[in-house]
Amino acid sequence: MNPLIFKPRPSWGWVWLLGLALLILALAVWPLAVAGNALPWWGWALNLGVGLLIGLPGLALMAWFPTLHYELDATTLTLRYGPVLTYRIPLAQIRSIRRRDLAISLWSSLRLPGLALFSVPYADVGTVKMCATAAARGILLLETIAGEKYGLTPADEAGLVAALQERMGESTSQRSNESANQ
Amino acid sequence: MAPIYIMALITIAASTLLWGGLLYALSGQQRRYLWLLLPGLPLSAAVNLLIKRPVATLVGNWAHIPVGLGLAGTPVWFLVFLFLLAPVFEEAIKITPLLLPPVRRLLTDRAGALWTGLGLGVSFGLGEAAYLAYGVAQSPAYLGLPWYAFTGYLSERLVVCFVHGVMTAVVVTGLYRGRVHILWGYLGGVALHALANAGAMLYQLGWLSLALTQMSLLVTLIVDVFVLEALRRRARQEASPATATEVVYFEREEDEQEAVSSEQGAVTSEQEAVSRKEEQ
Repeated sequence: MNPLIFKPRPSWGWVWLLGLALLILALAVWPLAVAGNALPWWGWALNLGVGLLIGLPGLALMAWFPTLHYELDATTLTLRYGPVLTYRIPLAQIRSIRRRDLAISLWSSLRLPGLALFSVPYADVGTVKMCATAAARGILLLETIAGEKYGLTPADEAGLVAALQERMGESTSQRSNESANQ
Repeated sequence: MAPIYIMALITIAASTLLWGGLLYALSGQQRRYLWLLLPGLPLSAAVNLLIKRPVATLVGNWAHIPVGLGLAGTPVWFLVFLFLLAPVFEEAIKITPLLLPPVRRLLTDRAGALWTGLGLGVSFGLGEAAYLAYGVAQSPAYLGLPWYAFTGYLSERLVVCFVHGVMTAVVVTGLYRGRVHILWGYLGGVALHALANAGAMLYQLGWLSLALTQMSLLVTLIVDVFVLEALRRRARQEASPATATEVVYFEREEDEQEAVSSEQGAVTSEQEAVSRKEEQ
């Protein structure tokens, strides 16, 4: 069976990534241009280090923004963002699916307006593995039996939830049949 | 126009966007707190010109301490007094907009007090950035510098606006809780303010290098982030859980969960048995 592909809700998250990356690069390069000779070697190293370590990955993440999508096959829901993020959620492991707004905290990994990636701590539900085009509003929250939480924002939320429930039903009945045969 | 005014405009615009955005996001996207960025704007100039300076002059005259004595000749008690002037008076004046009924009406619960305090403090910080720029512009030494030479002003004021917000959030939260918490909240705000100013004071005394002084601002920022998180968590605990809107699409029954878990357990035991057999 071919996997179903679901696109995320549109957002301007990539603009924030671009702006942030350019700002960091500018803040790193600006002092070098203005007072380059007066800066000690560690000043150069610090500025270039910060610029390259944060600015360039930020630009790369921005370039992968259009690749954010969700794949649903017979047994697994996969969340993907470029080559840097792949979360696989076995359907049999899903305990709950709910849509809610999350309460942001000051702690964050990669959470900007219109984009949330990787493990992000939230004030109300704890750490959520995010692959979403929203930071906190209207997040489809999947919780597994093991207690892990995943946040996504499909454009066709009803379609994804219906397909998930259908396949989860199949997966449950398949499991029951296997148990009966044993 | 003095060059620092260009940087002041950039700083105030960036701080308004950054900290106003944070206030909006953390308060659950409530616009009603955003106008609090206005009433504190004139308060920095007011407290400096009308209170701190006259009080310092009055006490100096009373103790017969001449102006411009320098650090070496000034009694330690007077230095401590000058150091405490800003925390004591600024933390008090920052909450004076609460005298206005529309501001006071925002203190509906602990969260309301927290966001009101944060807004008023950031507002004071924005006004202080403008007031300091005015002070720098009066000095001929800075007039020859290009506007982009004031990046230190930009980074410092960006941080200080947030720090002012947290200090006032502590004070207003204490005020909302009432009784002994009013005093503790105020003293907490004063202590955080003193911590924020300590680096600059020690630098002026020649006890701290410029690099360590800048580091002390970073330490202050980190401490204030922890303080704001703690206040926010307590405010959430007190808030009604019924305010969260949630749509539950699917929830597995408990016995079904147990079945899945035991099935996994059975598979694991089976795998272990197979492994043991293979080993034998």
